[in-house]
Amino acid sequence: MIRYTFTIILLLLIANIAQQFIPILPELANARVLLIPLVFLCAAVTVNYSSMLLLAFLCGFLWDAQNTLGPHGGDATVYEHPVASLVFGYSIVLYALMGFLMQGIQPLFRQGKWHFSAMLSGVAVFLYLLAEFLLINFVRGDFVFPAATRYQILYSSVLTMIFSPLVFAILFKLAKLTGYTIRYDGLKKSRTRRFILHT
Amino acid sequence: MKPLNLLALLLFLGGLVWALTLSESTVREIQRGYYAVISPFLTKGSQLETHIRGFSDEVQTSKELTAKLAATHDELGRLRLVEERFQQLEAENSQLREALNFKKQSPFKAISAQVIRRQPSTWWRTVIIDRGEESGVRVQVPVLGDKGLVGKIDQPLKGMSTVILLTDEDCRVSAKVEGTPEVGILSGQRGQFDGSPLLRLRYLSKNAGVRPGMKVFTTGRGGLFPANVLLGTIESFETGTFDAEALVRPSVDFADLNTVFVLSGEVQP
Repeated sequence: MIRYTFTIILLLLIANIAQQFIPILPELANARVLLIPLVFLCAAVTVNYSSMLLLAFLCGFLWDAQNTLGPHGGDATVYEHPVASLVFGYSIVLYALMGFLMQGIQPLFRQGKWHFSAMLSGVAVFLYLLAEFLLINFVRGDFVFPAATRYQILYSSVLTMIFSPLVFAILFKLAKLTGYTIRYDGLKKSRTRRFILHT
Repeated sequence: MKPLNLLALLLFLGGLVWALTLSESTVREIQRGYYAVISPFLTKGSQLETHIRGFSDEVQTSKELTAKLAATHDELGRLRLVEERFQQLEAENSQLREALNFKKQSPFKAISAQVIRRQPSTWWRTVIIDRGEESGVRVQVPVLGDKGLVGKIDQPLKGMSTVILLTDEDCRVSAKVEGTPEVGILSGQRGQFDGSPLLRLRYLSKNAGVRPGMKVFTTGRGGLFPANVLLGTIESFETGTFDAEALVRPSVDFADLNTVFVLSGEVQP
């Protein structure tokens, strides 16, 4: 388990570097593949509760380290109305919430229905981006939710979801390499059922 | 709940509280460390992009390139003349200021920089440029393009800096409309992520004689941007209950941002 978690951390760091090379797609409302959330979501369903929290903390921390903006600065008498920004650490909460969501369907995943998890990863990315944008609206006021943003969220989620089977395949390989058993209750049950039928 | 899970949750909450209560300077230090680790990869990625672009340029016919070279030579000659004239005017201006006992304005030094990463975050309009602290880039100094203001430095790092663009809601500029006494605050609009987003100029007076086509410049107030830098052109004007606001088309094409100039030196009102 520890070796598997360690390799997932390494995979997340690689995903973080790879994310730097993934461009936005102007033709698809500036959507992009969100590799770090994807790796986290796929990994979250394969690990236990405490490992998921560790991964959520790491991902949120890295995400905010990359994206947090500094203060506006300037003369306060001229710039009277400061624009509030999201504080460092908010992503940790969002990642944890997504992780809980993925853990919720872990029983299905263990039954071998990994495609549910793949689809849910798209839903979770959608909810993550939506929550992030709503948070920005909340702290800055003036609620806006233009069509361009809706499409950006939608396309980013779908694009990200498309790559989830690939990430699951990598995770299964890693599990095999590290000797970690992603418990496949479904296969166990079917084998048991077959055994009962034979006898 | 299992004891191990409870312990993990408590540790997670402790870590979360620690992260949420970090001071601004600590966050900046964390970000510096983060970018120090990923900067080699960003640089390599940028070099790769340059190579690809260079290859596609080579594919262009030599005729086109010759024509471009000739046009560039003409432009260079014209710019040399403009620079000469500018130096004369600067010297004359300096003499006049001294004569009038004006406070001497610090000369700005422009550092040219290349954009190496576009829009690294989902919601903020930012770019990363290839010049950092060692080149004299400082926090919140203005960044200009050939047609006007691009934004300001959000974070100077080692070998690179992040620039928050004028089209971001968080980048606010004290602006004036040419030919009028109107002064307002110009900023980007939330959720506008297309190639040519419009800016919003707020806090104008209700009876401001602002018309589409008028140019908008920086006022130089607020200690962030120098005066008289072109920001854009008025697109439309709307009056509200207490004040008015205008939509401004930025002078810089943010979809085609490659070379920018970082100003170093003090900004004086």
